[in-house]
Amino acid sequence: MGFEKFGRFGYVSQTKISPLVSYLEKNQIMATKCKKCDTVYFPPRADCPKCRDSEITWVPIEGKGRLVTFTEVYFAPPAFQDSTPYLLGLAELKDGLRVFAPINNQIDPKSLKPGLELLLRPKQAGEGVYYQLEPESPKENG
Amino acid sequence: MGRIAIVGVGQSKFGKRSDASLRELAFEAYSSALDDADLESSAIDGSVVCSATHYDKQRSPAGVVSEYLGLSPKPTFNVEAACASSAVGLRIAWSLVSSRLNEVVAVVGVQKMTELSSGEIQELMGRAGDVMWESPFGTSMPAYYAMYANAHMARYGTTEEDMARVTVKNRKYGAKNPQAMFQKPVTVEEVLKSRPVSKPLKMFDCCANADGAACLIVTNSERARKIIDKPVWVAGVGLASSPMSLAGRQGPLTSFEVTKNAAKSAYDMARMGPTDVDVAEVHDSFSITEILNYEDLGFAKPGRGARLLKDNETELGGKIPVNVDGGLISKGHPVGATGASQITSLVHQLRREAGDVQVDGAKIGLAQNIGGIGMYSAVSILRS
Repeated sequence: MGFEKFGRFGYVSQTKISPLVSYLEKNQIMATKCKKCDTVYFPPRADCPKCRDSEITWVPIEGKGRLVTFTEVYFAPPAFQDSTPYLLGLAELKDGLRVFAPINNQIDPKSLKPGLELLLRPKQAGEGVYYQLEPESPKENG
Repeated sequence: MGRIAIVGVGQSKFGKRSDASLRELAFEAYSSALDDADLESSAIDGSVVCSATHYDKQRSPAGVVSEYLGLSPKPTFNVEAACASSAVGLRIAWSLVSSRLNEVVAVVGVQKMTELSSGEIQELMGRAGDVMWESPFGTSMPAYYAMYANAHMARYGTTEEDMARVTVKNRKYGAKNPQAMFQKPVTVEEVLKSRPVSKPLKMFDCCANADGAACLIVTNSERARKIIDKPVWVAGVGLASSPMSLAGRQGPLTSFEVTKNAAKSAYDMARMGPTDVDVAEVHDSFSITEILNYEDLGFAKPGRGARLLKDNETELGGKIPVNVDGGLISKGHPVGATGASQITSLVHQLRREAGDVQVDGAKIGLAQNIGGIGMYSAVSILRS
């Protein structure tokens, strides 16, 4: 239990990687690392498909990344309809790790383009906790 | 191993079918496929029922569909691969018949979507992606394809006008298809002015949810020759998968690796390449998808999909006519029925029965069907 707090609206409550939520609450973005082959997984996973090992450790990740692509959503699922339009992005972090995340809505959508440098930062909103993509020096944590 | 043939095809009218239930839609397609093959139902020794069952009120619909078609106690089961369900159904039928577990199989693709409230549909749509890592941020089916569109636009200069031309082309042909949901042409301006769904995609860039069914009768070569003078042969059935999460996919997201992989396996199996294809049905769930599909199937070089369209090469009379039955954009997208509907249109083409939209001399047809947000892609190659 506990993972339902992840995101703006959680669908899944039970998972082996729910410690991610406690880390985010402490303002940390963590990935998992396979103890056997040292592969780092983000989003985190409890099991390494390469060596089929399930011994993992948690490691911090660097939030610097570049936008791969994005969209501005107008037609949204019911739980999100009050906040349209909103921005979603896919970014590539260091070491080729990729993350799908909301983009801070204070950014001008016209400024978005593949390659744009963004930072992945922890974000708390109501009961929910997650991470979002932000400009490198945001005015505030919007 | 003998060759596998399609000896009968049938399709219901697609659209808002408030007159018919799921089982009745299945019956329409099944009955018309049997008529097409001039077979009695007793000739069918098994069925594969294809639907994205989360849209159906009926759980495990194969049970009730098989019963309603009068096929009990013959074997039946459901196949689900989201929007690619019935293309995968053809692949399953191919292996059932090849293995001689069955001799004559009915692939029944069916979906009843318009009975759901728009709230239910939107809730389902919100769970189309990875529910742990992406749905919690408010994803939708169009949002994923819009992200591919933005990537393609930025890298290759593809424009919203280019995408609008897909809709204009397909709606033009849809106007000639009496079974299509939308039978009215639209203009580039109308597409560009339609309301935004997930930028850059607008309402007219998107296919619509629909009710409908399509059926394929699949058998071996000996039996096929007894049933019909001109069987259509299944030359290749390619299928591939891709990570469901967008974050799990590599590259600039300007193409679907899953389609390239499925196409390679179908082309290899059929011992053909893209230049051999005379007519194609590709998955135009969104206008941008058709442009990407041209490139991923090898009809155009990377980044040149929009050019192919602009040069009218995918129109009737062009190098490779695509979706001249109107595509998903005109026909509507009753998810489980779409793959079998594409194959039905190709069979008509290869038998020279496509009327106004007949491609002259069509001998080889290709159908490509993407599942969901691109986690599955099926490529089927047929020859006359």
